[in-house]
Parts: sequence; structure tokens; C-alpha cells
Amino acid sequence: MTELIRLENVSKCYSSGPNCDVFPLFSVNLELDQGSRMILLGKSGSGKSTFLNIVGGVDTPTSGRVFFNGTELTALSQADLANYRRKEVGFIFQSFNLFPTLTVGENVMLPLELVGTPNKEKAIELLDAVGLPDAWQKFPELLSGGEQQRVAIARALVKTPKLILADEPTGNLDQDTGNTILKLIDNVCSLNNATLIMVTHSQDALWIAPRHYRLRSGRLELETVIN
Amino acid sequence: MSFTTLLKFNFRYYKRHSLLALLCLMGISLGVGIVIAVELINVSALASFSSSIDFLSGKASHSVVSNYGRIDEEDFRSIWTDKSVAAASPVIDVMGTTVETGSDSIRFLGIDPFLDSSFRAWTPQGADDKSLLIFLSNPVPAVYLSEGLAKKHKLKTGDQLTVLKAGIEKKIKLIGMIDPSVSGSLTENIGVMDIAAAQELFGRTGRLDRIDLVINGDPEDLRNSLPQGLVLTDANSRKATLNSILYSFQLNLAAMSLLALFVGVFLIYNFSMFSVLSRREDMSLLLTIGSDRRSLIGAFIAESTLLGAAGSFIGVIFGYLVAYFSINMVSSTISQLYYQVNVGSVGLTFPIVLSGVAVGFVATLVGVILPSFEVAVTPPVIGIKRQSIEDRASSLKGWLLVLGAVFFILSAFCAWASRFSIFWGFTSAFGMTLAFALFTPYSLSIFTHHLGTFLKKTFNSLTGFLAARNVKASLSRTSIAVAALAVALSMTIGVDTMIYSFRTSVADWLDGSLQGDIYISPETTKWDHPLPEDLMEKFGSDPRVDWLEKYSTFDIYIDGRLAKLRVLESEILSGKARFNFIQGSQESWKELVKGAAFISESLGFRFGIKLGDTMKLPTPKGLIEFPVVAITRDYSSDQGTVQIDRNIYRKLWGDDRVQSIALFLRPGVSTEEVKSDIIAEFKGLERTVVSNTQMRDTVLGIFDKTFAPTATLKGVSLLVGLLGVATAMMAILMERSSDIKVLGYLGLNSGQLGRMNIYQGLIMGLFAFLIASLCGMALTYIIVHAINFRSFGWSIDIKLNPWVFFETLSLTMAACFASSLYPTFRLMRIKSAPALKEE
Repeated sequence: MTELIRLENVSKCYSSGPNCDVFPLFSVNLELDQGSRMILLGKSGSGKSTFLNIVGGVDTPTSGRVFFNGTELTALSQADLANYRRKEVGFIFQSFNLFPTLTVGENVMLPLELVGTPNKEKAIELLDAVGLPDAWQKFPELLSGGEQQRVAIARALVKTPKLILADEPTGNLDQDTGNTILKLIDNVCSLNNATLIMVTHSQDALWIAPRHYRLRSGRLELETVIN
Repeated sequence: MSFTTLLKFNFRYYKRHSLLALLCLMGISLGVGIVIAVELINVSALASFSSSIDFLSGKASHSVVSNYGRIDEEDFRSIWTDKSVAAASPVIDVMGTTVETGSDSIRFLGIDPFLDSSFRAWTPQGADDKSLLIFLSNPVPAVYLSEGLAKKHKLKTGDQLTVLKAGIEKKIKLIGMIDPSVSGSLTENIGVMDIAAAQELFGRTGRLDRIDLVINGDPEDLRNSLPQGLVLTDANSRKATLNSILYSFQLNLAAMSLLALFVGVFLIYNFSMFSVLSRREDMSLLLTIGSDRRSLIGAFIAESTLLGAAGSFIGVIFGYLVAYFSINMVSSTISQLYYQVNVGSVGLTFPIVLSGVAVGFVATLVGVILPSFEVAVTPPVIGIKRQSIEDRASSLKGWLLVLGAVFFILSAFCAWASRFSIFWGFTSAFGMTLAFALFTPYSLSIFTHHLGTFLKKTFNSLTGFLAARNVKASLSRTSIAVAALAVALSMTIGVDTMIYSFRTSVADWLDGSLQGDIYISPETTKWDHPLPEDLMEKFGSDPRVDWLEKYSTFDIYIDGRLAKLRVLESEILSGKARFNFIQGSQESWKELVKGAAFISESLGFRFGIKLGDTMKLPTPKGLIEFPVVAITRDYSSDQGTVQIDRNIYRKLWGDDRVQSIALFLRPGVSTEEVKSDIIAEFKGLERTVVSNTQMRDTVLGIFDKTFAPTATLKGVSLLVGLLGVATAMMAILMERSSDIKVLGYLGLNSGQLGRMNIYQGLIMGLFAFLIASLCGMALTYIIVHAINFRSFGWSIDIKLNPWVFFETLSLTMAACFASSLYPTFRLMRIKSAPALKEE
């Protein structure tokens, strides 16, 4: 297995003065291989989203180093980090965050446009894969919550990212729809051999990854490993 | 939840968004300021000449004036000795300039100090015999001057001044100052001379301009016994006459200000509405947690009242400052076109303040109440979603388009109805502007959708695509800002196109009229300063001169209304000039020689005279009939001009005064050489002897100066519109920050995000310009045909000037770029890190 993500003594502090007031992450170490999956658990405000943002190159740690595929993210410029997000990371949000003025097709195509390889066939194929073959011309407002999340997943995966970061992807969905979405994420990750880091509160979502970590007082603790 | 808690909640919002609060205040202040400024300028200009008339009349109850421009000195005795006259004073009243006082023109009053002492106290009271002797008989004409003017130009008693009489230098001696306690609040510059000296100096020998009277009997007795062509007036009727002269000018100034006000109200509405809409979700939350609708709306009304009060207060100050700094420009225009006014100060009165404040309050209240009412009646569960307002805006845009079409049709109908009253012309202009404002949401939605696709497909510009779609996504904000900007720009384009068309028409008219090689046309022509006889004799017999055309214009009263009488030399002009005949032809010249008249189209319009009609003109020999044989295009006076042949004038009026001349040189004669000879012989004329081209440029220069104040109006309108764009962009930034963050997650770097934001501003500017171009052209048509023609009676050929459009587009794009810089700076500082999650 090839190592994809490595965190070395990553700490993040939020401060209003010279001293740290809050340590959402404190000396976190982690290694994740290509195609592996992990669930991140923790109370509200425990730092789960901060963890995702740092791994996703949206935020930077106060100290420590983060590596992606051997490249040190913490040494990259903002422009390079944007490039990293553009090419390597697929984000799935709890509240879908689709663009209301773009059609479903345009939403899915957006990451490809950003990379500069607008491949319409691939976007159509992916929409087909998430069960929305006829949604291309529709605007997000016409879709149900579950359908919107499927579009969001298609948008996250269309560029075939190596890393998928999902922040409570089923948080706004009912149980049945949530399960369908989880299966979909499971399928596309397997298909693309993508690494998945998923934050969730839902016990029903735990099956998707064998390793469950918990953030407690800034520390990352391995809680469960399912064989 | 109590009203005060809600109000506190509202003000907390402004505390957190201080820049928006500032923009809101600026918007209201600008709107109020425009109203105050124009009202102040109008009122001050009117008050100035009204107080001038009152003051200069002194104790006179009535005045005798002439319908044909002059009173024969011989008539004074019979009037003075009339049994109903208690006191009489003959007056020479003429405007002039001196080299020493430069552009400060002076009203020279020639009086008889003995007779005039019953009316005014211009000359020092109780002056010793020596002073009086000097005043009456100094070899160099003596003058008392307003103390303020003397101080301004550092003049002192004993100094000699050089009066430019018909452009030629004449010396006068300053023998004292008019005490400020005598001239009181009069802002005009006054020079008081002995009447005989004034007659001699200004070429009015044997004639008077006015006879002031104190009547103790029945004025009707005197009125009936007055010689032919003389009329008895009082100060009020003179004011009314002058008021009527300014009517069209003020009407147009008012119309321009109303259009500007329209933009101002739009902006206030825009800001107020924005301030409510941006709290829509908060309001819905408040409703959810139990606050009642009445308190909610009440809190917003209270907020708008306070905001309106603060904005209006600043607006009053701003308007006063604008009026203060532009009043000279406006009074100079009035002086140039109509009659001398010197507006010394602008006085802020309670009614003016009230009108401005009312505008501020009403617009703010409407802007706040409508959206807050909308939110209050919207179920909180819907209102809490930001998208719901956009859904509503999106569904409304079709209806607004239909409403716009209704206004468009109504506006066209009003333009047609302007033939009955000018009111409909103004209504048409407003209707048209409103129609295009209502077209904006629908057309902006379509435009941005296709522009986005076009930018992506043609230029592979993802940021351009996203920018266009963002503008579409925030239609509730962007369409109002774009409409406000479009209204401001359309006014600019409409007025500029009208001015350009007008200027082109004036230039064509000048090209046809000015065919001479050299012109001696002093600035004093408008004040009826006759040229010296010897000048005409010398150059009329000069072998180098082929023709010498004499030119005079006098004020006459037709049916009690002022008009201009122009005296032409048919013999020369019929062969040399190219008159623009609207009706009639080159053949009409033959009739003119026989005693017919040409009239300008503005005179025909004002007096309802048509080709073939006969009009009666007042002459010293009574009312004489002149058949109208041609109607010409003539922009020299909006009062209207009657043109008759000089021989006819000489015969009927017994007068051959000339105010300006044109020399037609023989082939091969050097223009410069003749000019030098004139200057060498007549000192002072170097300022006024000009070539054909210079003459044309001078007239066009006056034209440009006349319309210079519109630049201020344009600037304010543009500023108003652009503040709207800046606010809309801040709104997008605030409300779509989650979308922006998502773009950050997807890999857009801050440079791309910044570019996207700037494109948004440019797209809004571009679309506002496109709407404004169409609306501006429609406005030009309305201004030219339904307002200008109905106000002044002259027709203008509409000509489009590409430069007007290019300049407007460039300014708009530059300003939109500037407006988007701060929001872009803010946007580039947004970090995606605060997670997009709802835990």
C-alpha cells in the first residue's frame, strides 16, 4: 500500500492574545494509505472540521507538518494549496453547498472546468452513476435533499480525486436517504480507490470505514478497528 | 419581544456593518442633497433679481418703459408734468464692463441727482457743492461705485476706470463709493453716473431707458395719456415679465433636478431595502422565536426614521455646499442668456429644508417598509432561507417586465400628449426611465445567463462564467443596483446626446449665418452698446472691403411679452448668408425688403404665429403690421426673434444704431491686415475683432459654458449610481460568502476569486450601460421633441455621438472597477477555513 496522507505532530491553536486559548488539535500524528478509509468522531467543537480543513489544504496548522503523497502541504503557497484542492481533494458537505444558479450539469462540471479539462461525458457518466441521469439541465432547487447530496458527491468525484473529505454528508438527510448516500460514497471510493476521511455523528454511518478515530481534547485517538 | 429590544437588535446590525451604515447614510444624503441644491439655486437666482428690481426701483411706485426699446428724451417733460405724477426721474440703465473689474459686470445707472433724490440715495446725501459739480461736469465722466466691488478690485477714489463701450475703451473717474448702508443687501455691482454723461458714454444720447415715477393720482389717467409705444408698469409686473423669461430655463433646470432626484430616491430606496433584506433571515428567526410582526415592522420604521433624519441632516449640508459652489456658474448662465443676475449668497429656508428632508424620509420609509412588510408576512420557515428572496425576485421579474411595458406605452402616449402641456413631456421622461428600470431584472437575468455561457465557451473564462451567474443569483440585489445605475447613466446619455445634437444644430445654424470674413461683435452687444459711427464710415468706404453688414438686435414687447427684434441688411445677406428656412425660401428676401418679416420658429411657437400671418410690431409710429414671409431656424434667443430689413427699421424707428458688424473682404485681401488696421485705430477692439471661425468658436464657447452645470449633475448622478453598485457587491459578498467559500474548497485561489468579484462589478456596469444606452436614446427623443421644443420652441436634429457612449462606458467600467475593489479586498480575505457545516 502507498502512503497518501501523513500528519506529523500537527497542532492547531486559536488565540485571541499571545497565548493559545483553544487547542482543537494537539500533536496529532496519522498515516493513511491510498484507498484507505477512516471515520472521525468527536463532540461538537472538538476539532473535526479543523482536521478536515488542514488535511484538505484549506487551513494550515499552527505547528507540525502535513504530507500528501510525499509533498509537504504545510510548505506550499496559497496558490499551490488551491491547486492541490483543485486536483486531489473532493469535498462533500453536510449542507450540499451546490450553486443555486448553476444547473446540476454545470455544478458537476465546475471542478473539471477548474482543472481545465471540461469532460462532459465524464460528468454525465457520474451523474448516471449517482442515479440522476436526467438531472443535467435541472437547477438544484428542484431536487430533494438526497438528490442534491448525490449531485454534491458527483461534483466531489468527477475529477477522480485521490482524497475524499466528507463532513457529515448524511447530517441533513433522513435515515433511508442517508444510507443510500453512504452506499454511493462507498461504491465510488472503491471504484476510484480513493482515500476517505469522513466526519460523522451517525452510528449508522460507521460501517463505511474500518478505522474509527475520536478527537478528544485535541488528541486523535484510535477508537475502533473493524476487521 | 419588545419594540426596544428589536430596535437595539437592528442598531447592533449597523454597528457590526459600519461601512454599510456609512453607504446607507451617503445614499440618503446624496438624494436629499440633490433636491436641496437645485431648489436653493432656483430660489436664490429668482430672489436675487427680484430683490434687485425692488431695490433699484427705490421709492418708485411705477415706471414708464418702451415697448420698442427706448424712450425719446422729449417725452419726459410731458410725463413729468402730468397731474397724476408726484415725482419723476429719468434713468439710463445699462450693463457694462471695465478693464479694471474684469468679468464683474456693472449696472451703470445714469440719473439726474436732483430729480432722483426723491427715489434713491445713490449719491452721497448732503454732498457739498464741489462733489456735485464734479459728479455733473467732470471732463472725464464721474462715477460712484459699489463699495464691495471697489474693495474687491482695490479701487480707490480718484482712480480712473476704463469702460468698454461696444468694446472700445472709454475712461471714467471713480469719485466715491456707494455706502453699503444705501445699497443694503443688493448683490449687484452698481455704478452711478450723471444721466448726461451716461447717455454720452453708452451711445444713448437723446433717449432714456426708463422713467421712474411716484404717482399720487389714478395711474390709468397717465397710462391713457402716454405717447405711442410707451407703457406704465410697476415693480411686480416687471418681476413677472422677467420671471416669465426665466420660466423655460428654470423648468428645464427643475426637470434635470427631478431626474436626478429620481436617481437619488432610487438610491435611497436601494440602500434602505438592502439594509432590511440583508437581515431577512435574522428577522425570520426573530419571528420564529416569538417576536410579533407589528413590533418588527415598528422597529424598522423607527430605524428608518432615525436613518432618514441623520441622512437628511447631512444631505441638507451637502446640498447647501453644492448650491454654494455652483450658484455662480448658474447665475453666469442666466446672465449670459437672459439678463444680469448676481447671486451673492444662497439662503437656506425652512420650506427648502423641509422639501429635502421629506424626500429623504419618504424614500427611506418606502425602502424600509416594503421589504420589512414582505418579510413580516412571509412564513418564518420560508423567510429563514436566503434563497427564498431570490426565488421571489425571480418569479417577480416577469411581472415587472410587463409593468415596464405598460409604463413604456404610457410614456409614449405622454410624449404625444406633450403638445397640450409640457407637464406630459416631463411625465413621459419619468415614465420612460421607470419603464427601463422595470425591464432591468428580467433582461439582466437573461443577459447574465447567456453572457456566462458565452464567456466560458468563447474565452474559456470560468471566473467570468461564475461572475455572470453570481450576478444572476443575487437578482434581488443586483437588479436594483443595476437599475439605479442605468437610470443615472441614461440621464447622462440622454442629456449629453441632446446637448451634442443641439450643439451640432447650433453649429449648422452658425455656419449658415456667419459668412463674413471679419466680425466686430463686442461682448456688450447683448447690452445694446452701439458701435461708433466713424468705425462704420471708415471701413464701409475702405476699398478692401466688399460689403459691410450692420447688425442690431433690440428688445421689443409684443402683446406685453418680451421678444427680440433683429435688423438685417437684406441686400447683403440674401446673397451671402445661408439661412435655414423651415418655411419660406430664398425668394422671401425680396418680401423682406418690401416690409415683411422673418420670424424664428421659437417666436412662432410662443406667439402662435404661422407663415402668412400678419404681426403687429410696436414702433415710435405706433403698431405697424408686418406679414410673416418666412420661419427660420434661429437659436439666438428662446424669446423668439423677428427679423426685418434695416431700411424699414430706419424709416419706422428713426434709428440706425448698430451693435456689431461683419466685413466681407474683397478677394485677395488679408484678413489679418484689416484686423490690425481696426485695432490700431480703435483702442480696445483687439478684444473683439475676430475672424469668422473665431466668432463661431466664441458662440459655441458660450453654448458649452451654458451647459457646463450639467456636468455637476452628471457627476452626482454617476456617484449615486456607483454607490449602489458598491453596496450591491457588498451585499453579494455578505450573502453569498458560503458559495464563495465552497469555491475556495473546490480550488479557486484568492486571485481567481478576486477576479471573479471584479468581473461581477464590470458585468453590472456593462449591463447598466446597455440599458442606459437604449433608455438614454429614448430620453433624448423625449427631451428634444416633448420638452425642449415645448419649452423653447426650437427644433433640434437628433445626432448620436459615439464619443458620448464611449465616454459613458469607459467611465462606468472604470467606476465599477473602483467600486468593486473594496469588496474584492474583503473577499480575498475570506478564509474557507471556518467550516462549511451545520453542526
